[in-house]
Amino acid sequence: MGSTEEPDGSTSQVSVTEVLEEESTKQNTCTHPGSFGDMCIICGQRLEQESGVTFGYIHKGLRLNNDEIVRLRSKDMKNLLRHKKLHLVLDLDHTLLNSTQLVHMTPEEEYLKSQTDSLQDVSNGSLFMLENMHMMTKLRPFVRTFLKEASEMYEMHIYTMGDRAYALAMANILDPKREYFGERVISRDDGTQKHQKGLDVVLGQESAVLILDDTENAWTKHKENLILMERYHFFRSSCHQFGFNCKSLSELKSDESETEGALATVLKVLKQIHNNFFDNTSDNLMGRDVRQVLKTLRQEILKDCKIVFSRVFPTKFQAENHQLWKMAEQLGATCSTELDPSVTHVVATDAGTEKSRWAAKEKKFLVHPRWIEATNYLWQKLPEENFSVSVVKNQ
Amino acid sequence: MFFHIVMERNMQLHPRHFGRNLRENIVSKLMKDVEGTCSGRHGFVVAITGIENIGKGLIRDGTGFVTFPVKYQCVVFRPFKGEILEAVVTMVNKMGFFAEAGPVQIFVSNHLIPDDMEFQSGDMPNYTTSDGSVKIQKDSEVRLKIIGTRVDATEIFCIGTIKDDFLGVINDPATA
Repeated sequence: MGSTEEPDGSTSQVSVTEVLEEESTKQNTCTHPGSFGDMCIICGQRLEQESGVTFGYIHKGLRLNNDEIVRLRSKDMKNLLRHKKLHLVLDLDHTLLNSTQLVHMTPEEEYLKSQTDSLQDVSNGSLFMLENMHMMTKLRPFVRTFLKEASEMYEMHIYTMGDRAYALAMANILDPKREYFGERVISRDDGTQKHQKGLDVVLGQESAVLILDDTENAWTKHKENLILMERYHFFRSSCHQFGFNCKSLSELKSDESETEGALATVLKVLKQIHNNFFDNTSDNLMGRDVRQVLKTLRQEILKDCKIVFSRVFPTKFQAENHQLWKMAEQLGATCSTELDPSVTHVVATDAGTEKSRWAAKEKKFLVHPRWIEATNYLWQKLPEENFSVSVVKNQ
Repeated sequence: MFFHIVMERNMQLHPRHFGRNLRENIVSKLMKDVEGTCSGRHGFVVAITGIENIGKGLIRDGTGFVTFPVKYQCVVFRPFKGEILEAVVTMVNKMGFFAEAGPVQIFVSNHLIPDDMEFQSGDMPNYTTSDGSVKIQKDSEVRLKIIGTRVDATEIFCIGTIKDDFLGVINDPATA
């Protein structure tokens, strides 16, 4: 009987060397998709700050490489579509709430200080005193219903130009159970550019993100994703900041309508967009773009209107570049500089201009420019009678 | 891993602390200065266990402060690459999960989580096996292996993996 020597010893030696070599090749072939505390998240190697984006708001020290971000976004898209959800990025100030520093409050607003809601149980409150930040904040009417219903269709993110402490304090008030935003609270400390907001720090495909913000200029690179909100001015300081010298809602002891205010309106729009995006057609869902859905929906609002502007733009200004012209076109209207029988609306601030008088004679609609702005905010063609123009008194 | 080592530090003391309670003052200042700090070499100082020796004080020129060299014993915590640790999960998201082992923050990327575990989003985001038998969520206890460590003044960052044998969930909080 020959003894078969089992070459155990030599085999295991080989395998140990193999393991060691495998370790070092792992480090060499590692794609370094991201880093935590400057170490690669796969191989642990110390990395210098290369390309990629820091995601400090998710966790301190986390940074992801561009390729990894693309991969995560694509994976997220599949997950989202399976759950029939899209992304919604929400601004805080003047969109969901209005804050004021205590020192800026007027005597007529003093009464509010005794009416604040408890910070221990925020779920039913709307007016809060934040002593340590020396400010008060008022939630916009309808905001809690808005968040609850929107969260069923959208994965939501907060993106504010406030600092991180402010962002987290507000998130705590709006979402005490952390069921709406989770760790998705982005502040100005997390943005990659000064004075600009960007979708580069949002882990969602740009074709699936909608943005709600009152400031268009913060989103110059993502205007097609933006739904512009009418500003919520509750406190006097907020009116003052934007140049309105009138009594504020707080001083008038009044507030925006809950059921007919901006949040209720935009919730309907969000539902419509969600519906249109996910409706059962033979289209491939992965190829859909929410920006296209938004654009198409907007273009329905003034689709049969042909608009001519009269003395609304400065004389040497290129009409097609004016904000109002572009807004009207986005709403689906056709704009023109010349009058003709197909014109339906003349927009002017003075009923005495040549074009205005033509409109009155031809029984065309003569409206104030605010008709276009209001239509833009309220997502419906408003009655022209509410925006009639009077003759400007001659000086 | 924990170590019990001897360290030395030069303590500077203001003359107001001199007198009967000099030694007590030195020790309490030492504790305040050192406990809870990190150093790249030793790791996180958990607690001072004893004073070995306090040397002769040297008066500094021009100020009146006195420097005492103090030798003390302390317990330090320092994770090492390749070490196996147990940690508590603090956050779970689509990129992986974050866990804590005392002062140490550990990140386990989804690349280093076994392939049969899928991320489930929702109220309590988690990683679950296809048959639902194993789940990693907030407050789960996991055994992981350290792939890399980095120490700064107050914190220690680690990269971990649970892709090897015998790593993963130790304790499911749902059934605990």
